[in-house]
Amino acid sequence: MKWATRPGVHVDRAACAWLIRRFIDPGAEFVFPAGPAAIPPGATPFDMRGAALGHHQGRCSFETALEAFGLTADPALEEIGRIVHEADLADERYDAPAAPGLDVLVRGLTLTSESDHDTLAITDRLFDGLYEHTRRQLMTGRPPA
Amino acid sequence: MSQADDWVLLAYRLPRVPSTPRSAVWRKLKRLGVAQLGDGLVALPADPRTREQLEWVAEEVADHGGEATLWLGRPLDPTAISVVVGRMTAAVAAEYDAVAAEAAAARTADAVARRRAVARLRRELHRVQGRDFFTCPQREAARRAVEHLATADTAGART
Repeated sequence: MKWATRPGVHVDRAACAWLIRRFIDPGAEFVFPAGPAAIPPGATPFDMRGAALGHHQGRCSFETALEAFGLTADPALEEIGRIVHEADLADERYDAPAAPGLDVLVRGLTLTSESDHDTLAITDRLFDGLYEHTRRQLMTGRPPA
Repeated sequence: MSQADDWVLLAYRLPRVPSTPRSAVWRKLKRLGVAQLGDGLVALPADPRTREQLEWVAEEVADHGGEATLWLGRPLDPTAISVVVGRMTAAVAAEYDAVAAEAAAARTADAVARRRAVARLRRELHRVQGRDFFTCPQREAARRAVEHLATADTAGART
């Protein structure tokens, strides 16, 4: 399937792309149209104005996507939702100490990446690690050593 | 950035009632540090981040049954814009001054209260910096006051 989001991906879009590839559509193809008019036919837009998979009711797109994809039963994904929310919006709705670091890392990546595909290749690895870390922490009640 | 060339503007209209979405939107805009140019017209120096921030506020306005349009603009009158920048800087400067004053006041508190104050004031500094678009000179003083308080705390803990 084709998925469309704005170019210059940052943390919320990177997190959504990871979620889509890992949990929804392993063969996902991502495109980065300049505006809503340039979305290719059949592509599902996310983290764009007017998209169902966007910011709604004060939630970031990743949180909206968790709900839309029926993935809210996974507490590690919910926790990543809180981290992405704070990294993206910093409105202090949640206590997420990892958020400012994640924000800085992904912003730095977008400055040095050659393309959005290049950024996503690295952020996919980053979110794999964050997911595993969060999962183990929730299992044992302690951060993994 | 000393003076912004391009600004991103949000023109919005929300129903007067219910008032909750109106105040939620306004709180969000204040947190972003917008310049209010008129009733329902706010602006931020344009960059990809501020543009996205206002895009989502626009989305929220629409979600609540209001109307919102985003614009990119360049002021024609440099004097008028320096008044706007001055107002934004003064608002942020007052916030930095408050942080510095609180840090100074906390120096006489006991070690536990000092540590708590350091954590709280560092967070507050971070928040204020997010809306400090013109590198307000008071930033450094506030940062030093908080770090000074942190050092006083470590020095106290060693004795």
